[in-house]
Amino acid sequence: MSITLDQLTKRYQGAPVVNDVSLEIGDGEFFVLLGPSGSGKSTLLRAIAGLSGLDHGCIALHGRDVTHVSARQRGVGLVFQNYALFGHMTVAENIEFALRVRRVGAAERRRRRQELLRLVALEGLDERLPAQLSGGQQQRVAVARALAHKPEVLLLDEPFGALDAKIREGLRRTIREVQRELGITTILVTHDQEEAFAMADRIGVMNFGRLLETGKPQDLYTRPATRFVATFLGAANLILARQGADGPRWGAGAAPAHGSSLGTGAREREVVAVVRPEEIELARSRETLSCTNYLARGVVEEVLFTGALERARIRLDEAHDAPILAHANGDGAGAVLLEATRAQFEQRAFAISPGQSVTIGVRRAHVLATPLSSFTVCAPNSSDAESLAGHPLLVDLSSRMKVRIRRRVEPMLAAPAASHEAVAPLSGTTVIAVRGDATSDVTWLLEHGGEEILILPEHASSPRRVLIHWTDESARSATLAVSASILRHLAAEAIYVDVLPEHTPAAARSFGIRALLDARSEARAAHGLEIRTEMRFGVAARALQQRLDEAPGHMLIVGIASASQLTNELAALLARPRWPLLLVHREREAPAHSRSAA
Amino acid sequence: MSDGQPTVLPGFGLTLGFTTFFLSVVVLLPLAALVLLAASTPLHQFLDAVASPRALASYRLSFGGALLAACINLVFGFLIAWTLVRYEFPGRRLMDAVIDMPFALPTAVSGIALTAVFSTNGWLGRYLAEFTGIHVAYTRIGIILAMTLIGMPFAVRTMQPALLEVRRDLEDAAETLGAGRWCVFRRVVVPAVLPALLTGFTLAFARALGEYGSVIFISGNLPLKTEITPLLIVIHLEEFDYRGAAALGSVMLAASFVILLAINLLQAWGRGRRVRREQ
Repeated sequence: MSITLDQLTKRYQGAPVVNDVSLEIGDGEFFVLLGPSGSGKSTLLRAIAGLSGLDHGCIALHGRDVTHVSARQRGVGLVFQNYALFGHMTVAENIEFALRVRRVGAAERRRRRQELLRLVALEGLDERLPAQLSGGQQQRVAVARALAHKPEVLLLDEPFGALDAKIREGLRRTIREVQRELGITTILVTHDQEEAFAMADRIGVMNFGRLLETGKPQDLYTRPATRFVATFLGAANLILARQGADGPRWGAGAAPAHGSSLGTGAREREVVAVVRPEEIELARSRETLSCTNYLARGVVEEVLFTGALERARIRLDEAHDAPILAHANGDGAGAVLLEATRAQFEQRAFAISPGQSVTIGVRRAHVLATPLSSFTVCAPNSSDAESLAGHPLLVDLSSRMKVRIRRRVEPMLAAPAASHEAVAPLSGTTVIAVRGDATSDVTWLLEHGGEEILILPEHASSPRRVLIHWTDESARSATLAVSASILRHLAAEAIYVDVLPEHTPAAARSFGIRALLDARSEARAAHGLEIRTEMRFGVAARALQQRLDEAPGHMLIVGIASASQLTNELAALLARPRWPLLLVHREREAPAHSRSAA
Repeated sequence: MSDGQPTVLPGFGLTLGFTTFFLSVVVLLPLAALVLLAASTPLHQFLDAVASPRALASYRLSFGGALLAACINLVFGFLIAWTLVRYEFPGRRLMDAVIDMPFALPTAVSGIALTAVFSTNGWLGRYLAEFTGIHVAYTRIGIILAMTLIGMPFAVRTMQPALLEVRRDLEDAAETLGAGRWCVFRRVVVPAVLPALLTGFTLAFARALGEYGSVIFISGNLPLKTEITPLLIVIHLEEFDYRGAAALGSVMLAASFVILLAINLLQAWGRGRRVRREQ
């Protein structure tokens, strides 16, 4: 491995900017770190270059641990967005800088300089000053300069950011050719997904300091594991569906995908399906739809001609069985439009114009593994529901996760014991406010099928640390999945806290340590989530309480296997939580009828 | 030349006219009068005033002191500018404001203040004299100190914007290329701010040379020892020896002109070398 990063963490004013990043990059690989601005990708690159320190973690280059090696001794070439050429030096002096510092002889410096200038196609410009060159030429000089001392690793920090499209294209090709010719391991940082696709052998997507997913461009595009990657890499429609045994079903009453019926016995789960705009088919009627997967009918709102492709935005008809878009594109909950792009041949076969009614089919959908599909605010009356739906943390989370907030008025919450009328089953994540002791609310929700319950105190801000705990090993997988889903959208550190009884004998303690390791490796293997682990002793509720009180800005995620565990073991936590608390409830399954693998 | 594009201020002719007028009235005319007065002095009288041992000693002190003060300001002004530009610390703004104090203070006040601190029974001077035997007030050290104080803001304020221009990236780049700290400083930072350093040096020097108010308080004004040229001029004036004063004045004028010209040529040469290399 050329570059090995192990659990890198860098905090800035207490908040993690690089959050537990582990990554391995192979020899000669062109790796692209992709993420929105502020996702920590540049900080990570600077840390690899040795220009910024780390709070935690190790960096190895070609098997050599360089965590505590200064930038000048790391043997790394770095190219900056704004070139960072030495303005008072000529091109030749700039390129020879690294050699001059190493006291390389003049003849050798000259030879190397000419070789590098040829490599970046700038022969003959040796004696120019940077100010006399165009932006593209300056960046070529910067690349040549970064390669002069034959670094083992080349790091490029948004090298095309300041260049216009045409020049970008040429420089991209040059850099890719140089990289192939030298076989040098390269990391490029960018926020431009097109650039990432064009250059990368492998892409790593970052958000809120976390490395969410890594993979080949095609794989990440067609089979993203996370909602963020799905929407960040190209356009995506996120559609709420019900996951049955054989694929997603849209809406309440629609026929399941591929026309087959639901698997029996399997409990349907609400899921989020990713449908790329180019996988949407538009037709006059259901009969003329060439793909089998009917989605809905809708009205064309807008058609944009973009050259090779046509982009359309479609408002879905509000039938009772209409599918629900998981997110609100653009302006809040109101305008949710389906995006479709159509190639020339599709446009010729069926021309559309705004106001036209069309039938929509889905050629291909990809179901996300994410367990958090939607938030449903639950309150005894509509005004409470409204104010809870406007809770800053919830609004923040839902907009980051591109998840809808549904409202549900549940008078039973006020008097849970009053009656046992039939209520519609809960789906998605239920959100309730703290109104005194939350135990009765939670118990009621669990009885009515609530699987994830988020309890929000009135003044809760975005957490910096998320504590994870489960009372029962059978809740582990689900809790980790939910935690991973939420942590991808928070700038927070994840800590798994295991609590053992006060006087645990040494032999039993080793089991506890094994549990910690299991938790960590499952989080990493199944969800790409890096967590830290802690062991505490005592009564679970009290130990957690103490840990939460150590510093402000916590959130707690607790996995339980039965409602009784909640009322017995964790009652103290529910008394009046001052931090956001997310309960993940998964009944222990009888081995006889296992859930269908989805 | 005006390139025909409308600008905020009215036409080129008008603004150039004002520029010439003000320069003439405020700078050139008085200087011309000085030179004329000196030129109309009989030669022996001129030489008496200009080349007397007392005058020669005062030149040495004035020019030597100003040069030394400018050197001190070059080094410490750079350090102060660096600190203010590169670091964020509580009290930074306050410190930034304090730099300007010598600008605003009447120079006599600075002189009195320095004397109060450094005289043999002053707060600091007392201990300096007792433990190190160094006397600041009424010696050349005191003169240089006053000159440094007066020139400091000029040095700092010219270097600050230049240092702001030196981006962190340049140093980072140099570091990844294998340069040590000293090397980064010498090869990257200093060359980038060299013009500003020279300008700061020049301004501090010019200011120190012309300084009168604060120096006379702390210098003790002993002829041949701690008497600066501007003071000698004032002494001539007090004796109603206007020609002698003008003669000394024109020598100072000529000398500072030569020095400033030399520094300007140096800068132009530096630029020229770059331009030549570009071709």
